[in-house]
Amino acid sequence: MSLFLGALTIGLILSLLALGVYMSFRVFKFPDITAEGSVTFGAAVSAVLLVKGFDPGISLLAAFAAGAAAGAITGILHTKCKINELLAGILVMTALYSVNLHVMGKSNIPLVDAKSTSTVAEKLGAWIFGQTTDLNWFGWEVSIRDAGMLIAMFAVVAAAASILLMFFQTNLGTAIRATGDNPQMIRALGVDVDIMMILGLAISNGLIALAGALLAQYQGFADVQMGIGMMVWGLASVIIGEALVGSNKQGLVVTGAVMGSVLFRLLVAIALRWGLNPNDLKLITALFVFAALVGPTIARSFMKKSGNQPSGRTV
Amino acid sequence: MLEITNISKTFHAGSVNEVFALQNVSLTLNDGDFIVIIGTNGSGKSTLLNAVAGSFITDSGKINLSGHDITKWPEHKRASLIGRVFQNPFSGTAPTMTIAENLSLAAKRGKPRGFTWALDKQLQSELRDRIRTLNMGLEDRLGNAIGSLSGGQRQALTLLMASWLKPDLLLLDEHTAALDPKSADQVIRLTKEIIERDRLTTLMVTHSMPQAVHLGNRIIMMHKGQIIHDYKGATRQGVRSEDLLHRFEEVRRREQVDVRVAELLQRMYV
Repeated sequence: MSLFLGALTIGLILSLLALGVYMSFRVFKFPDITAEGSVTFGAAVSAVLLVKGFDPGISLLAAFAAGAAAGAITGILHTKCKINELLAGILVMTALYSVNLHVMGKSNIPLVDAKSTSTVAEKLGAWIFGQTTDLNWFGWEVSIRDAGMLIAMFAVVAAAASILLMFFQTNLGTAIRATGDNPQMIRALGVDVDIMMILGLAISNGLIALAGALLAQYQGFADVQMGIGMMVWGLASVIIGEALVGSNKQGLVVTGAVMGSVLFRLLVAIALRWGLNPNDLKLITALFVFAALVGPTIARSFMKKSGNQPSGRTV
Repeated sequence: MLEITNISKTFHAGSVNEVFALQNVSLTLNDGDFIVIIGTNGSGKSTLLNAVAGSFITDSGKINLSGHDITKWPEHKRASLIGRVFQNPFSGTAPTMTIAENLSLAAKRGKPRGFTWALDKQLQSELRDRIRTLNMGLEDRLGNAIGSLSGGQRQALTLLMASWLKPDLLLLDEHTAALDPKSADQVIRLTKEIIERDRLTTLMVTHSMPQAVHLGNRIIMMHKGQIIHDYKGATRQGVRSEDLLHRFEEVRRREQVDVRVAELLQRMYV
């Protein structure tokens, strides 16, 4: 049960990563690998602040701001300095590795003793269930900390997804979406597409850094390596989410990304439980994304041969 | 009022592909003028439109619009004064966004965009009314993605978007060239309606001689980056398609003569 709860909680935390990747990869069609650095950057900044005794909420805000700054730099490199999208991301990601080490001062910061979101979540759990001992859910022992954390993460993700969706309906948000959809058109309507892209990547990486900060606080440590493979992970979540909701409607796709992240984490937990070598995890994730990217094209050409031509979205 | 003074643009300057796209072009549009630009392929007519719209900065010369010197303004800044419809129906709209969202983007052309709702109640009702004037039945499909519409419908919407906030200048770049004849007719009728109703100052590029003759109050013929003929006032009144075609033929012949003379001179002296 705690395995299931843990997978659910991490899935929810990483759905913030999925939302960030959705923003860069789907809204802008920008494969932004800055994500790998932003995850760690967010974790590092919040961990250092927590160890210094800052409030967990402030540490999360700082993490978001740090990620946003990293994303903005990638955006500036791409739009103003005309550096290729992937390369701009790689440059910032690489630079962030050193920055993260400087911020942390060492390669790993334990958070077990610090007052973090987990501590807050534990109090929340105790307040909700009116007890401090373990809960009994359907015959399973559940620690109050895990239950509280799950509820807290659900609230955070629901809030983040709602805010993002509302933002997409504002004048600024629609301009950002149009920038990804048809830059020529929105430029002709008076929008500086460079600014929109920088802003969009800042929001994207802010969310991703937030995911990193929450993940560090949940697992009890920040590690300089924790960002590796995160972009592909986020991508897998987005793709699963799209398959789940089967629609291009923004509200559904954003909800789908959250669901995709949770489902993917559960699948991984089950696979690990069944004896999948953890070392193979990233290989499997990469293969999965590869199959999801290539699959529709193969399916289409197969359908074409048999006379049908379904309309599918290309990646 | 639009004043173009001696603008020039050379693409790939100094290379073998050097193109003198615009050579000392000057043109003045008074408020309410509707100028149709015709010319052969590569004559620079679309380039002239792009120069005004700010797709690139000209090498020399000056562009003045409504009292602003916009010569060095970036494209998105000029958009506060200019409405634009492109040749490609896919260029003027955001395909995955809904009809209503696209129009809401146009309703903020050149204005600051903040955290207010893009589709407030007032805009929604105004939107429905104005789309109804297109007579395409689109007012009931405001929530549909624009990508699901035909080229003609998209071009009509782009036209509506470009003129939503009355622009100081409307640029139409062969906006019916990619449409089937029926849709093209429909869009041209709409173009005429909107321009006459709002008395928009307009620059329109076309390949169609009938369009050139039937629309606007002035015709400009371009060739090799220069304005070679300007039909206005009384001369504009009597112009027929045949006159324009005849004029094109003349230009072509003169060119052939030029080439032959050049060859002759080359044989004799080189």
